[in-house]
Amino acid sequence: MIKLFIICSIQFFLLINNLSAQTGYELAKKLDNKDKPQNMTSRISMTLTNAKNKSRKNVMISKTASQSQKQMIWVLEPKSDRGMSFLKIEREDRKTEMRIWLPAFNKIRRINANRRSNSFMGSDLSYEDMMSRSLDDNTYLRLEDDQIGGEECYVLEVIPKKSINTSYSKHITWVSKENFQIVQEASYDKKSKLKKIKNFHYAFVNNYEIISKIHVKDLQKKHKTDIYFDQVKVDAKMDEKIFQEKSLKRLPLH
Amino acid sequence: MTFIVVDDDMLAMLPNNMSSKLSWDAVQDEFGSTESIFIAFGYKDKTIFNKSSFSDLWKLTNELESRPEIKKITSLSNLPKIENVDGFLEVHSLQPSEELDDIQINGIKKYVYNNQSIRARSISKDGNYFNIMVQPNDSIAHNVVRDIVVEIGDSLLSKNYEIHYGGTAYITGSVPGMIKNDISKLLGVGLVLMSLILLVNIRDLFAVGMIFSVIIQSLIVMAGLMGWVVYLTGSENFYFTIINSSMPIILLTIANSDGVHVVTKFFKEMRHNGNIKKSIAKSIDTLFVPIFLTSVTTIAAFLTLYFAPINQLMGYGICLSAGILYAFILSLTFLPAAMSLKRWDLNSKAISQNGYLENIISKFGKLVISKPKSILVVGMIIMFIGTAGLSLLKVDVNIANFFKEDTDFRKSIDFIDQEMTGTMDVRIRVEAPIKDPNTLNEMQEMQTLLNSNPKVTTSYSIVDVVKQMHRILIDDNPEFEIVPKDEKKVSNLLMMYSISGDQDDLNTIVDYNYKVGLITALSRVMSTEEIIQFVKKIEDQVYDFKHISNASITGMAIVIRDLIYLVIESSVISIFSSVILICLITSIFFKNFSWGFLSIVPLVTAVLINFGFMGIAGIHLSHVTALLSSVIIGVGVDFSIHYIYQYRRLIKDKVRNGISNKVINEVGYPIVLDAASNMSFGALLFSTFIPVQYVGGLMVFAMFSTAFGTLTLLAASVELLKTSYSK
Repeated sequence: MIKLFIICSIQFFLLINNLSAQTGYELAKKLDNKDKPQNMTSRISMTLTNAKNKSRKNVMISKTASQSQKQMIWVLEPKSDRGMSFLKIEREDRKTEMRIWLPAFNKIRRINANRRSNSFMGSDLSYEDMMSRSLDDNTYLRLEDDQIGGEECYVLEVIPKKSINTSYSKHITWVSKENFQIVQEASYDKKSKLKKIKNFHYAFVNNYEIISKIHVKDLQKKHKTDIYFDQVKVDAKMDEKIFQEKSLKRLPLH
Repeated sequence: MTFIVVDDDMLAMLPNNMSSKLSWDAVQDEFGSTESIFIAFGYKDKTIFNKSSFSDLWKLTNELESRPEIKKITSLSNLPKIENVDGFLEVHSLQPSEELDDIQINGIKKYVYNNQSIRARSISKDGNYFNIMVQPNDSIAHNVVRDIVVEIGDSLLSKNYEIHYGGTAYITGSVPGMIKNDISKLLGVGLVLMSLILLVNIRDLFAVGMIFSVIIQSLIVMAGLMGWVVYLTGSENFYFTIINSSMPIILLTIANSDGVHVVTKFFKEMRHNGNIKKSIAKSIDTLFVPIFLTSVTTIAAFLTLYFAPINQLMGYGICLSAGILYAFILSLTFLPAAMSLKRWDLNSKAISQNGYLENIISKFGKLVISKPKSILVVGMIIMFIGTAGLSLLKVDVNIANFFKEDTDFRKSIDFIDQEMTGTMDVRIRVEAPIKDPNTLNEMQEMQTLLNSNPKVTTSYSIVDVVKQMHRILIDDNPEFEIVPKDEKKVSNLLMMYSISGDQDDLNTIVDYNYKVGLITALSRVMSTEEIIQFVKKIEDQVYDFKHISNASITGMAIVIRDLIYLVIESSVISIFSSVILICLITSIFFKNFSWGFLSIVPLVTAVLINFGFMGIAGIHLSHVTALLSSVIIGVGVDFSIHYIYQYRRLIKDKVRNGISNKVINEVGYPIVLDAASNMSFGALLFSTFIPVQYVGGLMVFAMFSTAFGTLTLLAASVELLKTSYSK
């Protein structure tokens, strides 16, 4: 009888443990499966602030398609760079192609954006941060639930698999229980030191909960980035042919 | 004393309103510390471009980067490489990984040899050593960073490579501690020698012990005051810097002087009347006024340092004055009290017989008095020779020159200086729209001027990045390695850099909003004259800027130039004001200007001879040796006041015959004994630091010149004027 009890206890423990691991993955899968708009147009204001509290601001128009795998950005501010634009295309082989239009030189140049840890336009977001994460690239562990700003959250530990080219050792992700959106993420560098904290805010646009603000703080560089998205349009009529070089030279009207 | 703060920051010596200091602070605030530590490692006869060396460079760079005390590391491992690869603009680290293959190493070598600025900063001239630049975090003391860098460097590299360390942060982080240890050790030797000289002449251990007790207590009060002021006010003017290292020696000599006068007078009186109480009373009666007067004049002289332009001299003067005041109080209270407690043996040699020096001085006195004119003429000749030597005096405040050339430390910093980028820097802070091509062109012109100096190894600024980006953008065409003519083009290039590279790469050359730029030139050590000429040319060029509205110059070369002027200014202010003050005080006290004038004769002569001798002997005036004038003035005035007071006392006592001889017999012995015991600090001659050696040698010379000046020039002058004084 005692033997049976011990065996049952061990089996129950393993089951619970397994369920817990599954739960982590399930949460991630649920997140991954959430409805996302096919395309989006927005006006982005990005304010960068350094450790000495000096700021600079960029205003851009962004258009994305194929669930952000294709993206075009046109710079509106600062004035000296107005008209500069970028085209980014994530290919299926996970390579990223990026082209830049330099109006002052009347030239288009290709940029190597495959160095995933490089910062995007001097911000605290790296190219890696901006790319969509593939579900199977990481292992997931559900941690104890927590609260962020009074909001009940699931907490996930996301560890990139060894085969993945990444500058992070792990992420801790807080997912709102209410709307199942990521509200905060802490990212750790390869030496397991806390590198960045990202906070996300959302707004409803056409039944989608779309990010309206991102606040990123690089704790090691003491640098922060605030990104605001407005004039957001989702799933509007968009010809995917615009994601090509010749579109770079024309500032969109909207 | 536990609150004393040791400060190794040379910049703290500069007044806060000095333009180079303001500019320095602005540069540090905007771009981080510009004082760096350099590590060079490699092989004497073998190229550094091999797999294992790159692997070790990678490890060293990463290990140093992981330390919070270090702000930035610059090495071949993490320098950005801007290139055009198959039509792609790439900005990435020169060394992509720890392990490299031969093709990658050759690629790095080719890139480095094609890029003069990177080459000069990252490898030695012969390509046999790597150079790593370590920029400390602003808030961390240089000695802390130095220890970390040396520990990491030695642990990773010492087995396989020859390692050298250098750079201003390394030197300033190492030197104060080394000088402190060196001086402490040699001061100990000096004190032992001093006690032996006193013991041989005074011949009583208790009496010598009492003199030392006065010295030690005064030193504690001086150091304690320094600590308490820092604790209570936080004033940086009371930090213990390299300048303050001469404070203990100066107070030792002055406190010793008070004690020696009291003890020798007491023994003399005991010899005459054999009564302890009477002897003490007579000694104090005779010495109270001269010791009071010598203390007042010396304190006044040191308090004039309050007005010196070097910040730390204010704390220096106040704390030293407190120590002198306490030595005065102890000499006239503690010392007689202690002596009254002892049962003195009247038959002891110390009391019953004259000392060796006492007998010599007696004979010497007769000689001086018999030939006053000849003595005066000889003294004047020596003084004129000394004065002539003043024109040869040179100033050098570069700490690197504090070390003998054959020491390991000097060899190491010389290696960095000669084989790498050099350890001196000039920084030009430019406040103007940085993206404006006119600004960039003027910055470029400045770099051309800087590079034209043969001692300058490299210069860099945002101009180099813009030019290189321009070239890479236009198909890597060398003809386009120029500043674009259109501001929008410059802006596009910099935006492109922020997209493809790491914005942090630009943090040390341009501010966040592209409104302030920094031009940096690294150079080998220059002589004082070279620095002054070089800085003059830079200042002229800055003056000629048409588009850059606001530019300021700083860097170690400028700091050294300013420190040279400050040392001269401080010395001149200190010498002139203290001499005038002493002359005034003694004139008022003796109610006669000529006595006041005579009191400064020995010390003025000694100062002139001392600095003249330094000029003739090629000894440089530095912020360490300049303070020797304080010792001369402090001790010199003591000697002359004791002499004059005794002379006037004998006149009042109606002594008319052989008065000068009697004065020399009375005060000559303690003066010479005081000077002889202070000469023990000649032990500093054995220091490993050149200026400390000079201090040792000059101490002997100063003691000799002040004592000799008093007993010859002053004695002969008074003897020649005795008819007017005797009326």
